[in-house]
Amino acid sequence: MGVTLEHDEVHGAEQGLATAEVSGEAGVSSRRKFFVTAAAAAMVIGGAKEARAQAVGGRRARRKLPEPVRGVSLALASAAAPPDAQLAVWRDPVGRLLRRATLGITKEELTRAKALGFSKYLEEQLRPSTIDDREVAAFVATNYPTLKMTPEELYGADQGKVSTELQESTIYRAAFSKRQLYERMVEFWSDHFNIDREKVGYLKTTDDRDVIRKHALGKFPTLLKASAHSAAMMRYLDQTDSRRGNINENYAREIMELHSVGVDGGYTQQDVNELARVLTGWTVSGRGIFTYDAQIHDFGPKSVLGKTVPATAVGKGLAGKNEADAIIDALALHPKTAHYIAIKMTKFLLQYDPTDAMVAAVEAEFTKTKGDIPSMIRVILTEQNLMGAPVKYKRPFHWAVSSVRALGPSVTSVSVVRGLVDNMGQSLFAWDTPDGYPDKMEFWSGLVLARWNAANSIAGQTAATFNFNVTPFVGTTAETGADLIVERLFGGEVPESFRTRLADFLRPAPTNTARVREAVGLALSSSQFQWY
Amino acid sequence: MSQHVHDTGCEEYNTLTRRAFVGAAAGVAAAATLPAWLPKVVLAQSASSRDIIVSVFLRGGSDGLSMVYPFTDTNYYTGRPTIAIPRPDSNSATRGIALNGQFGISAAMSSLVPAYQAGNLLVVHGAGLVDNTRSHFDAQRFIEVGKARDPNLVSGWLGRHLATSTPMRSNAPLRALGLTQGMPRTLVGAPKSLPIPNPAGFGLGGSTTTRTERSAWLRGDYEAVDTSIGAPALDALNTVTLLNNINFNGYVPSGGAVYPNTGFGRGMRSAAALIKADIGIEALQLDIGGWDTHSGQAPAVVNGNMARTMTDLAQSLAAFHADALTGGVSYNVTVVVLSEFGRNVRENGSQGTDHGRGSCMFVMGPGIAGGRVMTNNWVPLARENLESGQDLRVTIDHRDILSEIVSRRLGNTNLGVIFPSYVPTVRGVTL
Repeated sequence: MGVTLEHDEVHGAEQGLATAEVSGEAGVSSRRKFFVTAAAAAMVIGGAKEARAQAVGGRRARRKLPEPVRGVSLALASAAAPPDAQLAVWRDPVGRLLRRATLGITKEELTRAKALGFSKYLEEQLRPSTIDDREVAAFVATNYPTLKMTPEELYGADQGKVSTELQESTIYRAAFSKRQLYERMVEFWSDHFNIDREKVGYLKTTDDRDVIRKHALGKFPTLLKASAHSAAMMRYLDQTDSRRGNINENYAREIMELHSVGVDGGYTQQDVNELARVLTGWTVSGRGIFTYDAQIHDFGPKSVLGKTVPATAVGKGLAGKNEADAIIDALALHPKTAHYIAIKMTKFLLQYDPTDAMVAAVEAEFTKTKGDIPSMIRVILTEQNLMGAPVKYKRPFHWAVSSVRALGPSVTSVSVVRGLVDNMGQSLFAWDTPDGYPDKMEFWSGLVLARWNAANSIAGQTAATFNFNVTPFVGTTAETGADLIVERLFGGEVPESFRTRLADFLRPAPTNTARVREAVGLALSSSQFQWY
Repeated sequence: MSQHVHDTGCEEYNTLTRRAFVGAAAGVAAAATLPAWLPKVVLAQSASSRDIIVSVFLRGGSDGLSMVYPFTDTNYYTGRPTIAIPRPDSNSATRGIALNGQFGISAAMSSLVPAYQAGNLLVVHGAGLVDNTRSHFDAQRFIEVGKARDPNLVSGWLGRHLATSTPMRSNAPLRALGLTQGMPRTLVGAPKSLPIPNPAGFGLGGSTTTRTERSAWLRGDYEAVDTSIGAPALDALNTVTLLNNINFNGYVPSGGAVYPNTGFGRGMRSAAALIKADIGIEALQLDIGGWDTHSGQAPAVVNGNMARTMTDLAQSLAAFHADALTGGVSYNVTVVVLSEFGRNVRENGSQGTDHGRGSCMFVMGPGIAGGRVMTNNWVPLARENLESGQDLRVTIDHRDILSEIVSRRLGNTNLGVIFPSYVPTVRGVTL
């Protein structure tokens, strides 16, 4: 073709600035201009960070600062960092704890937590069985009967109902259960051990009950093992299709890459193949019972992650099954697993970019306690960590549930919320790939319009099945109305300018309920309500 | 996002906009020539020689050897006893169509043959990532950010292209969008960009009486906050006005094109409408999933698992070709289609294929040197020729293809920024 491309391999800002302007085709900006812009942006970001360090009591920010900006890639990376101005507004440590340990502040919960104090509240949440949650349990038992069904019963049930009940019970429990930290961890593990309902159908109901909810605040090795014995997981990652001589490596890969040691866990393609051989025979029978089928197990010698699995005599017993159990036990307590789970939990519960020191502490706790999840959370959710942690952006499910919690509607059905979560892009148990819904601000923040419409919709609900009673927000003056909203939705902690703007919207006086509903909708839509 | 109606429920708004349009640029005469689905958009302003890019990611690792297959290679047939595409010269009802003496395209993708014959469609085979990861998520990330194993690089290659080029329209409120349920990493870093899963439903709901006031309140709120969430919110507010000018539901494709009524088909249809509306959008990202065919792949079975996905892909691309690239007016557009990796040459125990390496890319457009299957030292798929004894080798780095598109079709020479630490080889993708 005789085409000559102009290659430009300069990466350093200094070199970039020294490079002559590129006089490319029409409409191409010069590198010089771009680099200057990028450098300026980096300086602005640096300034904001300094301001935050001041705002949190002059203490040096513990968050690792990025390397000095050397090129465009790093500058663009920094531009995605979350803002820190909010930290100056959220001064109450108990408020910080509630934002992270629950799916949204309520006025009642905040009052109760303040009375208990930071440590006692956290300890209570770490022991969910000690929290009386009978009211919610009774509602769930009455309204979502398919949750208790065996695979055989589920098979015979109305499949639409099975799906709806799983989604709506998840929303209901997240919104109303008093075991809030437990519900947060259910959310976390549901992504960690993601299963797309589209592929496994009703089996996700059993996985949710017998794997995720059973062990969400238990021991990680037990959880990993339970997931490996889940019919839904076997089906989802094609383990049911793997057999001696014709392996399917899907589950073997993902249990290492996504569930335990992580993608940098040091395994090779050979390890994946060998683990797939070890796992042959793990499958599903009947309407969804995990089964080991010796007929299709590979009894030959194998080697996974440097561990030899000697050949055994072909047999009908469980010798073949135990091979994989032993490997999974080793994976569960592998040092790389401790590291990987520590990073992931810290990112989910605390901040997008935890420091090495934070992760190391959580990792050490994993090692010390053999993967005790509450113990790790205790290391993550310290007052010191929380007071320095930058804000996180609520995902649609989190946002919807926190809205429900804030508004405190009288509810006999959350189907309206399910519809809104769908509209906002996070249909429950519908993420098709095994990595789970992303927990990244840049992924979700552009879908803001759907969120605003959901806010307006939820604040306008007057149906008997989901009734948001706006009367308590109707104040005597616009200022009082704004105060009531701020107290209920934000634990009282917003910038003064925000309170004023809310009051402005309510002028002359918040007597018209439609107007008050719109104001609440705007408050739920506001930037303030997107953070936690 | 369902409440807002742009073509029926908002008369006052439409009237205002129409008046603004007539008063603004093109004038009454131009307005009379506008198609019915596009009543209010300013078509004037200078045309650009730069292409608009439509980038399509096949999520899940697409089996290139089921899309475009080497039918003269007996290794292909011995490695895939149950899932190979029958030879084009066979009698099988599901045989593919020969693209040349060596490669055929699967029957499920036959709708792309006209674009190929017109010289607008290029197949690049044995393409992919040089890094040998077989993790979906690593491979997608490496391709989307444009570099392997660089944790500091979080923006996408297309995002950096937009960040390093002047807008094609200086006043465009939106330069790029993902027709996706979230921001695709490929576009991260792009100024004025949004994920818009359904442009037809893009609007602020609730009472029409208070809409303007609420919109202004939100603008004020987000203007005051950090750009990380402020910028997308303001982009969204600005884009509402823009997209409400387009009646997506009433859009009539040219050239008799019929888009499949699938998520991807509707996405490509919206892409064509947005391009023709000429509102300054220069990059569109679309995703199509369903390629992780570990079992029951069935690429040559009518309505088979992969056959369905391939049909969706091909019919949507073919409709776009007829509609936007050849239908009356040919728009300056380049479409590029790729996946994170291909799949094993030999099928597995469940009539599927596990994660592999090289796959095929498609590049389509009036400026593309198409009508060819581009390869680089293609060899028979015998075990000894395969990577790790099992996979099609990557003999063409995907960045070679993308670099040439960026520099020759998108007019951006900042390749060192867009694909850091890489010196591309010119493969002759463009005319």
